[in-house]
Amino acid sequence: MRTILISTLMLGMLGAPATAQTIVASIAQDVRSTNPGVNRDDTTDGVVLHMVEGLVGYREDGSVGPLLAKSVEMSADGLTYTFPLRDGVTFHNGASLTAEDVLWNWARYMDPATEWRCLAEFDGRNGVKVEDISAPDPMTIVMRINKPNAVFLDALARTDCGMAGILHPDSLAADGSWDRPIGTGPYKFAAWKRGESFEMVAFDGYVSPPGDKPDGYVGAKTPRAEAIRLHVISDPETIKAGLLSGTLDLAAVASTDVPMFRSNTDFNVADSMDASKHTLSLQTADPLMSNVALRQAIAAAIDLPMLVAQVTNGMGQPNASAVFPQSMYYSDIQKQQFGHDPARVRDLLAEAGYKGEPITIIANKRPTTPSFETAVVAQAMMQAAGINAKIEVMEWATQLSRYFSGNYQMMSFSYSSRFDPALSFEQFSGPFDGKSGKVWHNPEALALIDEVKAVSDPARRQAIFDALHQMYLNDVPMIIYSNGLNDIVTSARLTGDVSWQSKLRLWEVTKQ
Amino acid sequence: MLKFALSRLAAAIPTLLIVSVSVFCLIRLIPGDPASLMLGDLADAASLADLRARLGLDEPIHVQFGIWIGNALTGDLGRSITSQQEVLPLLLARLAVSAEIVLIAVVLAAIVAVPLGMVAAWRQGGMIDLALVGTATLLLSIPAFWMGLLLLLLFVLHLGWLPLIGYVPIRQDFTQGLLYVILPVATLFLHEVGVILRMSRASTLEILRLDYILHARAKGLSEPAILWRHAFRNAFGPTWTLLGIILGNLLGGVAVIETVFAIPGLGRLLIEAIFARDYPVIQGCLLLIATMYVLVNLVVDLLYPLFDPRVTAQ
Repeated sequence: MRTILISTLMLGMLGAPATAQTIVASIAQDVRSTNPGVNRDDTTDGVVLHMVEGLVGYREDGSVGPLLAKSVEMSADGLTYTFPLRDGVTFHNGASLTAEDVLWNWARYMDPATEWRCLAEFDGRNGVKVEDISAPDPMTIVMRINKPNAVFLDALARTDCGMAGILHPDSLAADGSWDRPIGTGPYKFAAWKRGESFEMVAFDGYVSPPGDKPDGYVGAKTPRAEAIRLHVISDPETIKAGLLSGTLDLAAVASTDVPMFRSNTDFNVADSMDASKHTLSLQTADPLMSNVALRQAIAAAIDLPMLVAQVTNGMGQPNASAVFPQSMYYSDIQKQQFGHDPARVRDLLAEAGYKGEPITIIANKRPTTPSFETAVVAQAMMQAAGINAKIEVMEWATQLSRYFSGNYQMMSFSYSSRFDPALSFEQFSGPFDGKSGKVWHNPEALALIDEVKAVSDPARRQAIFDALHQMYLNDVPMIIYSNGLNDIVTSARLTGDVSWQSKLRLWEVTKQ
Repeated sequence: MLKFALSRLAAAIPTLLIVSVSVFCLIRLIPGDPASLMLGDLADAASLADLRARLGLDEPIHVQFGIWIGNALTGDLGRSITSQQEVLPLLLARLAVSAEIVLIAVVLAAIVAVPLGMVAAWRQGGMIDLALVGTATLLLSIPAFWMGLLLLLLFVLHLGWLPLIGYVPIRQDFTQGLLYVILPVATLFLHEVGVILRMSRASTLEILRLDYILHARAKGLSEPAILWRHAFRNAFGPTWTLLGIILGNLLGGVAVIETVFAIPGLGRLLIEAIFARDYPVIQGCLLLIATMYVLVNLVVDLLYPLFDPRVTAQ
């Protein structure tokens, strides 16, 4: 009986751990769909972009580089973009990539029936309209837009748009519905057990873009492992057990677990920073918070470095700018922060005529963001400076609803990544309409944001971004305190950078 | 019997209708909607309005309910907002996972706990009783998720005997399936065994105090014969009812255990759907859970006369 039991267990165990060349990772939520840019979230984007690629992709400094394109040429008037395609690129089914495929994909994305989330970025509703797309030869694509736009390529490269990924037409079923991604990426779709796991295998015919190392979503992209298996695990203790037992090769862990893994030589810990923004948003349309002196007092009451150290267990870097630190636009001016100055707080509160009215900070307890922790530390700092801060905790969906309606005073809120600073500023800037959650209504700033979206000259853009940052420091529509930070633990068996911008990036990663 | 069953089923219709209306309305009263959750902070007013229209959320609530209930009556519970899967097959697939774990755990717990509860009652006040009741109370007091984590640490991390992640249905591959369900089943088993043992003991104690047991003893019957032939059937009634309630509860979702062991069951689906405001899935889940309660309790009532002939289906 004992022999049978042990044999049974051993037999079962054979199927449990990964094969030597399979990278096994955990994801907190299941993939939503494999249809790029349609039904997605951050996890989904990270997975799908292993299988599909667009004409262009982000570099690590936030600029946009060619991916399926060999290069990108913009006409002098800024209206025409030419994308010569790289030679030798094939889809996962062996078919060669041609300009015809790109035309087919563009027509599909621009069809409202596809439900591409970024349709409004290209059909004129948000300003830019692709007026014409053509293929002058089998390996060249030309796009013509309605007016010069500095963030047109950025929109094409956006991960939430699925990078406008180029798919083979066989990705659709015979009735035109979505089937599975047949892309050009380094890994191919293999299997998906909904709610359980997602598996991709290396694409043997992959032709990597030039480069000797990965550079964001461009650069070297060779698949080094035979397969990738992602397990949906949401419980932090289970993830920890998975890493310690060797079942998982990598996973994002809670920052409180990082010291344990750092002290274990079987693991490496990578602090993966991204361009998302952790903020204390101030609703400038609120009667009390519309007082700029009060907002400045709040900013002066908060010791940013200490706040960041507290909420990230000493691992985060303070950043008060809408520009993320790896960006080519992160100048010395962008490094300027709100000054922590308790003496000035008193003066500003007196100037604001503040009489101890309560200010409520709304926060949530999602494990993926330090919303609640930030609210607690900020409340303590504000109270110490004589501001009557209170905290109201609510579930994320409820908080999001309040965010959009503008029905709040302060909110501990995180914004998703925006690489181009113009789009990053735009996330929180705009007229107050009670629907879109904008908090910075300064007309001068809005005009500058509109202007910078049309300017391509880097020097001019830098000047505008710097001016915007200084205006923002003075207006205090929100207090950006740091960028997103994910603690990724990897087994020492893995070599290579396993994530970028807090998304999995498992090409050029090998497993011993 | 058939008439009784049919009348009980008919009586369940208003219950299910009330559940449907309540769930439909209450979930919509909670702030937050799936469209804004799907778009997150990337949403602009136009895309939000587009998505809400596409999901049918811009219709008045009574129109939305009319559409949903009309489709539900034809077996179409709609599509998940987040995964786009059809809700009914999704629910049935997840229920099969939960049911496999719950049924094995509850059956095993009943097989072990009912006799032990009777023995404890038989030896009331003795060392065996003390040990059994103490153990049952201890097991009952340990939260299931913590028990799960302890088992996971012991059998996966330290001993390395069992796999941590994955799920294979037993009907698909018995050996693999068994390996993956051992820990969740053991967790549930250990928790439920305490509940059932205490109920079995308490009901047996009541029966053992009755005159007909005294009479049986006076006739010189052996204690095992008294326990099995005379006490068991009468004492098992309340435990049987409890088993029905436990089954109804657990089939409705063992979300915590499913989360700890990363098992794609019904409870985890419901929790995820609530956070995502996935209305069709929430409505489908709760309707299914309510239906299961009704059916499980109906089966319990129909089988009750087998254990206690004094109770008839009528």
